[in-house]
Amino acid sequence: MPVLTEPRPAFIVSNAPLIPQQDVLLRMQDDLKRALQKPVNQRRWVMVIDLRKCVGCHACTIACVAENKLPPGVVYRPVLEEEIGTYPNVTRRFVPRPCMQCDNPPCTPVCPVHATYKNAQGVVEVNYDQCIGCRYCITACPYAARTFDFGGTYVQGTTGSEAFLLGAPKAEAMERAANYEYSKAWERKGDESPIGNVRKCHFCLHRVNEGMLPSCVTTCIGRATLFGDANDPDSVVADWIASPNVMRLKEELGTEPRVYYLL
Amino acid sequence: MTLKKIVYILAALALIVGVWGFYDRFANGHQNAAYGSYVVWGLWVAMYLFFAGVAAGSFMLATLDLLFHIEIFKGTGRTALWIGLISLGGGLLSIWLDLGQLWRIWKVYLQGNLGSVMAQMVWGYTLFGLLLVASLYFAIRDPQSKMLRVLMIIGLLLSLFVSGAVGALLGVEASRLFWHVGLLPVQFPVFSLASGTAALLAAIGLFGSDKDPHRAQQLWVLAIATVVLAFVKLYFLWADFSQSIYGNVPQNVQAVNAVLFGPYAWAFWGLQILLGTLIPIVVLVQPRLAKHNSWAGWMGVLVLVGFAVARANIVFPALTVPELEALIHAFTGPRLQFEYFPSLMEWSVTIGIVGLVVLAFLVGTDRLPLQSQEVA
Repeated sequence: MPVLTEPRPAFIVSNAPLIPQQDVLLRMQDDLKRALQKPVNQRRWVMVIDLRKCVGCHACTIACVAENKLPPGVVYRPVLEEEIGTYPNVTRRFVPRPCMQCDNPPCTPVCPVHATYKNAQGVVEVNYDQCIGCRYCITACPYAARTFDFGGTYVQGTTGSEAFLLGAPKAEAMERAANYEYSKAWERKGDESPIGNVRKCHFCLHRVNEGMLPSCVTTCIGRATLFGDANDPDSVVADWIASPNVMRLKEELGTEPRVYYLL
Repeated sequence: MTLKKIVYILAALALIVGVWGFYDRFANGHQNAAYGSYVVWGLWVAMYLFFAGVAAGSFMLATLDLLFHIEIFKGTGRTALWIGLISLGGGLLSIWLDLGQLWRIWKVYLQGNLGSVMAQMVWGYTLFGLLLVASLYFAIRDPQSKMLRVLMIIGLLLSLFVSGAVGALLGVEASRLFWHVGLLPVQFPVFSLASGTAALLAAIGLFGSDKDPHRAQQLWVLAIATVVLAFVKLYFLWADFSQSIYGNVPQNVQAVNAVLFGPYAWAFWGLQILLGTLIPIVVLVQPRLAKHNSWAGWMGVLVLVGFAVARANIVFPALTVPELEALIHAFTGPRLQFEYFPSLMEWSVTIGIVGLVVLAFLVGTDRLPLQSQEVA
């Protein structure tokens, strides 16, 4: 490990050698490359969200909406905001909530047509071509991580100056353009899938399979969202999920979420 | 103008109102529905539960005539089967329109997941529908046949299964404490029997034959059954709600509060309890009124209205309680809210389906030999 040679900041009083820190994004990128060398069934994708670093900027939510071209009513990763304490001892907590990709998911066995399942990498997928849109899985999810595509767009119904300001025709074309979820082009037209389907976060598998980190991870300004292969002992996420300050949402339900929160 | 003609006209008008809803549903999909990604099931699911309950309950009652040959119910079996068949049709139409991808329903049959309660229910109701058709056929053509007895025995068991499965559909959901009650699959067959009884009471009271010597007695027995089942229903409600409130688990208490004191309180107290339960009880315990065709018939209608509201009060409140409380303010939007009241399009479709079912009932009573020869 190289030792820093630059002058030390005045507030550092120790004489111990400084070790340069690699940006965690770059380290996760390396982790990802390593994981992709392994057979798919040996990867165990997990997400770690450091609540101490999340500032509630919602960049991850918006990045996700943009990446997956999510229409109104569909959200994969809202950030929950909670106020804790009473004045003057008040603070806010921000809890991003992607799909938990549970190892024991309540949403998959209820599907009447096998349209949703855990894939070989442990990510819960929705097969849009198979989903009948009954929404039973939405009611079964204890995290409200599934939403329904009603077929609308954000600019739909806007008229006059509002439509002009929004650039409605071009914006609508953009909203209807294909996303690439599950590594396939899904254009939004008529009542074709994914319209009329249940939709959910899939850890941006289409990006991950191409060696890119999920959209929410790369856009997190506080580096609060970490992603990687928990089966790799050298990965960032493997480090963190073994720490004592880690928790998962609604663990008492036995769903075994793959999203961990650092407190 | 006779009552039948008035009901014919009203049902036809309802169907015309429904045509707009059907058009909107097919032209615009779910875009004009008021449910969203959080309150994800709405009026159509509630009406499906209601109609399916009436269908199963009607079949149970048909066995009194066609399987057990109870003298007083002689001649009611075919009417009950017809009510069952058209109610099932209404229920299945309602739930079919609720699907996001209507034309993929075949997948449940050919690529179904039999581990899913919903798939089991689809299969169960399909079999039940076929059985209703076959039973009605034999009940009309050859009421003494062994085949009819066999069909009625299988149908009785199947009606218990399918109505219980509706309870299980909700009951298996551990993430919704309001639904996750072990007794739900037990309650639903009782609710089905009660709604079937009310439907037959309405049918015989309002449209039964004046020549039927058993009519007054039939009304009296059905009235007593309706009252008893209304008390059972009230007891179930009390048991559910009191335990939930006493247990004080927040998610459960919120759902109960939504029914008792929240946005659905007017429907619960006004329609379900007062109109659909208490008034019928008060009227039907009086032998003179219970044996009176119109009184008994209209009380049957009120009980049915109460049951439709009761189904809605099972479906909506559980979904209006957020799984994670802070979701209420996180990334809000028109489809991301925990409030629900059906849209005009949803009402229109439901009114149309009700009109269709009532029309089918009236056409059946006019065109099919539903009453036995001696009373026809």
